[in-house]
Amino acid sequence: MRVNILFGGKAGQGANVLTEVMGKALVKQGYYVFYSRDYQSLIRGGHNFNVLTFSEVPVHSNDKAIDILVQLDENTTKIHKKDLKKNGISLVGHTENMYYAGALFKIFGLDFRILETELKALGKKFEENIQEATKGWEDTKTNMQITKVEGKKIRFLDGSQAIADSAIKSGLDIYYAYPMTPATTVLSELAGKQIANNFLTLQLENEISVINAAIGSAITGARAMIGTSGGGFDLMTESLSLAGMIDIPLVIYLSQRPGPATGVATYTAQEDLNTARCSGHGDFPRLLVAPGDIKESEELTNQAFYFAEKYKIPSIIINDKHLGESYYTETESPTMLKIKKLTPLARHSGNETDKDGLTTSDPEIVKKNVDERMAKIELMEKDMKKFETFKIYGNKNSKNLIVFWGSTKGAIIDAMGNLDCRALQILYLEPFPTEIKNELLKAQNLILVENNKKGQLGELIAEKTGIFFNDKNKILKYDGRAFDCDELQKEIKGMLK
Amino acid sequence: MTNLNTKKIPSWCPGCYNFQILAGVKKVIEAKIKAGQKKEDFMVVSGIGCHGKILDYINLNGIHTLHGRVLPTCLGMKVGNPNLTVLGFSGDGDAYAEGMEHLIHAARYNSDFKYFVHNNQVFALTVGQPTPTTEIGFKDKTTPLGVKFPPINPIKLMLASGATFVARVFADVGQIEFVLKEALKHKGFAFIEVLQPCIIFHKDEGYQDKVYSLDKVGHDKSNFEAAWKKAQEFDYNAVEKIPLGIFYQTQKPVLEEQFEQLVELKKKGIGWKNVKR
Repeated sequence: MRVNILFGGKAGQGANVLTEVMGKALVKQGYYVFYSRDYQSLIRGGHNFNVLTFSEVPVHSNDKAIDILVQLDENTTKIHKKDLKKNGISLVGHTENMYYAGALFKIFGLDFRILETELKALGKKFEENIQEATKGWEDTKTNMQITKVEGKKIRFLDGSQAIADSAIKSGLDIYYAYPMTPATTVLSELAGKQIANNFLTLQLENEISVINAAIGSAITGARAMIGTSGGGFDLMTESLSLAGMIDIPLVIYLSQRPGPATGVATYTAQEDLNTARCSGHGDFPRLLVAPGDIKESEELTNQAFYFAEKYKIPSIIINDKHLGESYYTETESPTMLKIKKLTPLARHSGNETDKDGLTTSDPEIVKKNVDERMAKIELMEKDMKKFETFKIYGNKNSKNLIVFWGSTKGAIIDAMGNLDCRALQILYLEPFPTEIKNELLKAQNLILVENNKKGQLGELIAEKTGIFFNDKNKILKYDGRAFDCDELQKEIKGMLK
Repeated sequence: MTNLNTKKIPSWCPGCYNFQILAGVKKVIEAKIKAGQKKEDFMVVSGIGCHGKILDYINLNGIHTLHGRVLPTCLGMKVGNPNLTVLGFSGDGDAYAEGMEHLIHAARYNSDFKYFVHNNQVFALTVGQPTPTTEIGFKDKTTPLGVKFPPINPIKLMLASGATFVARVFADVGQIEFVLKEALKHKGFAFIEVLQPCIIFHKDEGYQDKVYSLDKVGHDKSNFEAAWKKAQEFDYNAVEKIPLGIFYQTQKPVLEEQFEQLVELKKKGIGWKNVKR
């Protein structure tokens, strides 16, 4: 059983709260839930929708074909009716969000008292909500009875919460940011937890100020992290180069959205791999890691802090709107390292300096400095072997290999199902785990899946291994939307050998 | 005796007014260290330009950072450890061109660090181009048709931005000592502009004959209107009279006192580095 419910309406009608209430209730019934948010860059009106997918087996993606269509306004009907399955359920005619919570509870034959608890937990508008929910309950019939699945402890959270929580557990002292979708969710998540966990979040006048303040704090030995999206990251890159030159740790959260320029501000993409990997003038070491789910968000954030502190380098966690703002269910706990603070007070400079920290242009010292800086890369390459820098999924003996990075993981893993294929996920993008070459060579049919037009990971793999992807074997989506499982599966099937 | 000298021989031009600023700053800090403050309690941040070399000549921790980024770096240091004494040094290009946005916000945040702007009204280290405080008509190789735009008035800018300590001095050891001592006593952001004529690209156009001391004429530094009026006497264009000293000083909430997490660090005398979790 895999059920897709689409909740659509105008911004402000409460489709989000409704989705969250249903998600939490289903999780408590022991179901795996995934929901994504599709919203426009506006505050009231327009058309927003969430798609919630649940199952008794793990789910990490939505389908394009909808089983239940919840229509808070006429636009939802107009836009999404075509995606409702033939035997799908259309819930329509009401504008109050919790009416549909009652209706859905009835459809699934769930205990109404569970809904009552969820509505109470919202902490506001209880009377109004329960009235609406009761109406929805009474108006609807049960026709998709589900039963409680016992025995699992499931966490239900979005990628931003995972990254924020991991940063706190990794000993975060200060998080600086300037608001930018879709990175802001990490800022608000951390801001709400700063007092209870004794750290500080500070919003400054722009991204240039943000990264330089973080450098200032890191010089004093504080554990600093900053967050932004592509445009803001571009503004930071001159100072990224500074952070890469001097011996201080810095963790950067880069959450992607479609570019160039303002692009489609509230949607998703994987277009900033190149800029995350190559930005900043001059040669300097950096770490670049890309999580693809909740547990990886937690572990790679922690590892980003580990490498930043140990090698005194900038560590970039590259993510996107899809993973950052979608809710996932996670049953496993992350493996986390405890990281000591190792940065001494010292003299630093954006100029090349001698052993006393004094500016120099002596060619021997310049060369020695460059060698020492770049030697960090080799040390990191050795050290990173103790972590999973790439992962393999699926049928070990298959000649078909899907290659990907980041948030496309959810749709790919779900789409693979019983297909005859393997998948290779690359988690460490800089330094690059060149061992993946062996995996690529083993396969006879390479398929690249990315949320961008150029196939940036494909280019990176070609640069590092000399192995190229055939243009016919690239599944590239660049309409600002994440992959749907059912549609991706069709495309993969068409490419299998 | 405490000595903050480094092994580096200054590469400023012989006779450069930067030597005066360096000597004044060192005298004050050396006296503080002699009186018991630890050397490790001080941080120096400098930007890009002739002034930026100052960190090479003061043996304290800190950073010679990028062009325009002295202010957010200082702020980050205070947030990282509110117990540090942080001194920022910028040029007029650093403060008023490349890093202008930070300057306005630094006045707003009122973080407790002290900020010197070495204003020589010219980009000297790049051999003489005009800055936002260069007078109309100034010519150089890059601007053969002459500067067309009026200079900004940093004193008015800082007053309008809500700065709690606004001063201008001439690059003279005694004046630097005086103003730094006052700035260190002040709780909050201290903006100190230093008129530092460039002896090569923007000579002292009789500034020293036109300056006078605000203190000596009985200026009331707690009076904003009086400060505003005095700030208008010199527009960085025509040189008639140039008031020097503290234009304005007031008390406003300090950034480090507005966050309970930082208040706690201050109370314990530590930075985030030594927070036990």
